Amino acid sequence: MLTIQTPEAVMFWFLAPLAVISAIGMLLVKKAVHSALLLAWVMITLAIFYIAQDALFLGIVQIVVYTGAVMMLFLFILMLVGVDASDSLTETIRGLRPIAITAALGFGGLLVSLIGRATLGREAAGLVDANSEGNVQALAKLLFSTYVWPFEVVSALLITAALGAMVLAHHQRSVPRATQREQAIARFRGASLGSAAGLPNPGVFARHNAVDVPALLPDGSAAPNSISATLKARGDMLESTQFELSEVDNTVTEEK
Amino acid sequence: MTFTAPVLNYAQLAPMLIVLGGALIGVLIEAFGPRASRHASQLFITVASLVAAFAALVRVRNQSSVDAAMGSVGFDGAGVLLQGTILIIALLSVFLIADQENFTALAAAVPGSSEERESLQLDLRVTEVYPLTLFAVAGMLLFPVSTDLITLFVALEMLSLPLYLMAGLSRRRRLMSQESALKYFLLGAFSSAFLLFGVAYLYGYSNSVTFAGIQASITGGSGNDVFLLLGIAFISVGLLFKVGAVPFHAWSPDVYQGAPTAITGFMAAATKVAAFGAILRIFYVAFANAEWQWKPALVLIAIVTMVFGSVVAITQRDVKRMLAYSSIAHAGFLLAGVIALSKSGLDASIFYLFAYGIATVGAFGVVTLVRDSAGEVTDLNRWSGLGKRSPLVASVFAFFLLAFAGIPLTSGFIGKFSIFSAAYETGSTAILIAGVLSSAIAAFFYIRVIVLMFFKDPVEDGTSVVIPSALTTTTIAVTSLITLILGIFPAPLINFIESSAFFIR
Repeated sequence: MLTIQTPEAVMFWFLAPLAVISAIGMLLVKKAVHSALLLAWVMITLAIFYIAQDALFLGIVQIVVYTGAVMMLFLFILMLVGVDASDSLTETIRGLRPIAITAALGFGGLLVSLIGRATLGREAAGLVDANSEGNVQALAKLLFSTYVWPFEVVSALLITAALGAMVLAHHQRSVPRATQREQAIARFRGASLGSAAGLPNPGVFARHNAVDVPALLPDGSAAPNSISATLKARGDMLESTQFELSEVDNTVTEEK
Repeated sequence: MTFTAPVLNYAQLAPMLIVLGGALIGVLIEAFGPRASRHASQLFITVASLVAAFAALVRVRNQSSVDAAMGSVGFDGAGVLLQGTILIIALLSVFLIADQENFTALAAAVPGSSEERESLQLDLRVTEVYPLTLFAVAGMLLFPVSTDLITLFVALEMLSLPLYLMAGLSRRRRLMSQESALKYFLLGAFSSAFLLFGVAYLYGYSNSVTFAGIQASITGGSGNDVFLLLGIAFISVGLLFKVGAVPFHAWSPDVYQGAPTAITGFMAAATKVAAFGAILRIFYVAFANAEWQWKPALVLIAIVTMVFGSVVAITQRDVKRMLAYSSIAHAGFLLAGVIALSKSGLDASIFYLFAYGIATVGAFGVVTLVRDSAGEVTDLNRWSGLGKRSPLVASVFAFFLLAFAGIPLTSGFIGKFSIFSAAYETGSTAILIAGVLSSAIAAFFYIRVIVLMFFKDPVEDGTSVVIPSALTTTTIAVTSLITLILGIFPAPLINFIESSAFFIR
């Protein structure tokens, strides 16, 4: 007979609403990081429930693997993508959101009303019984005897996942990366010796030496290769002509 | 604590183990093999392991046991037939996949980038599709023979994961292909969650995850029916998603259109066999005695699926989308065999799966041939007059369409006839009427395509039929031959299925 002690009941009624609220909050908050943190909380709550129900190993695994590893990967990727990046929440098909919310509420209501009326119809065995030989030992026994075939097959699943990640993310270098020696040779054997001593620095000396102003060549024209290609592509390049001496307002105002 | 070592029947598991072994060798070739010979060696390994698996299956064809792998795998006549069908279809599809014109040169390259252009110039190849295909085949082999819910779930994931990936590897219109892969993945993960939810309820209901245990609980009448009902409903959602039954079909037109055509053919044919195999087993073995709980819902889904698939297919302007909606309609016809819940229903379903799978691979094989300078032409308008320019290819495609429509002298007719008569015998008159009506609607759009190909003037826009490679020719020839033979002379296969198809309990 499985009895539920008072402390466990108190803990359940304290943590369960919190878990449900954060699970719903996960869907409603706008920022992905907040959503991920709420998910972490849901997982920790679940782990506490598992441990309270004598499934010690499962609880620890839940914390170590899910909250520890998987959630950190989530956050890591969110940081890579950019914490401030937000999804576009415009509806591509009009009226889809009210329909979805109505359907979700209806489905949830149906489930709650059905499960509310359900009884197990028999006594639960309880984990004290299942754990009589030790929790981890009992799990190991099941994994390596009754469920050995699905357990082994999961390894194929993991290989598939690894292979898939390689297919989708591995860039094949089409030409080998030039070594430093090759780069030096190319600089000297190139069309002009101009690049042999390195690229010109940006900026017009004494006037404006920021990275977004191209240097001036002796004939007064701008040197395009003095500016980073990224700045050029972004359009963040200033005209260097405005810093030419003839253009500068050189009337001196006396400062007191 | 005493531990008894598990006993596995390796002879009966051999087909799956061989395919998995082939996949692992493929992965090693990817890691260590020289790039120049990778394609040839992968093709060899893939074909060899599929053939070896088929031979291993033939060796144990007359065995049956509930204990092939500690109660996780049931080995019986129906399982052998379904596994054999999957292996044949996989082999024919691999011949289509071998024509690497369909696949991107480098999946990691951003579409339209200079890296993509360079990879195309270098003629790189995504030879990883071969081990991925083998992994998917192994999952498909396990799916219809798994006899507990945990193995069922693992098999489902194993067959789905490679398919999600391969759907995104199209060479042309890559953004659409990647979008379809993402859609397939997200919706597939969602439906897997439903399946797991159902597994949890059924365990709560019966205190067991094996089909036999669930069946015993249902006949024993212990437990609460609410849990049983929820369990059946959620598991059905997960399984019906895989076969693309309405209302869980939303992914299929997009994925069929976006995926590389060879993969679409493989996915359409082999996934359907595996998923229907699993549906047949779970409904015939585990849920048979709870018939009244699920039959009304399934009848409704079958009728809606047939009618929706047939009607919406009429409006399609793209040949791959049209075939997708036609496959939705066929899922409805196949559900009739599940609902029949009888020996004749089982026989008819297996025959139908074989005939439909073969014709589907062939039809998608023909679709890969119609191209212009930018790749495959799937717009139906540009197929007009194809029969005047390439009568042979157009006739073969027309023949497959007639088989889908169920015109006499094709395998489709025998399949439809036997599945509807099985449904009629068990009193599902509504299914029969809906089936015949939607077959008539479906025949309309198949024949419209045939009229378009043969009786319209060709458009001059560079659409042409390429000369197929030897392997593609083999696939198309074999599939059309089987479709013809099964239409004229189906008795040997029907008798064979009748004598050997049964589910072990």
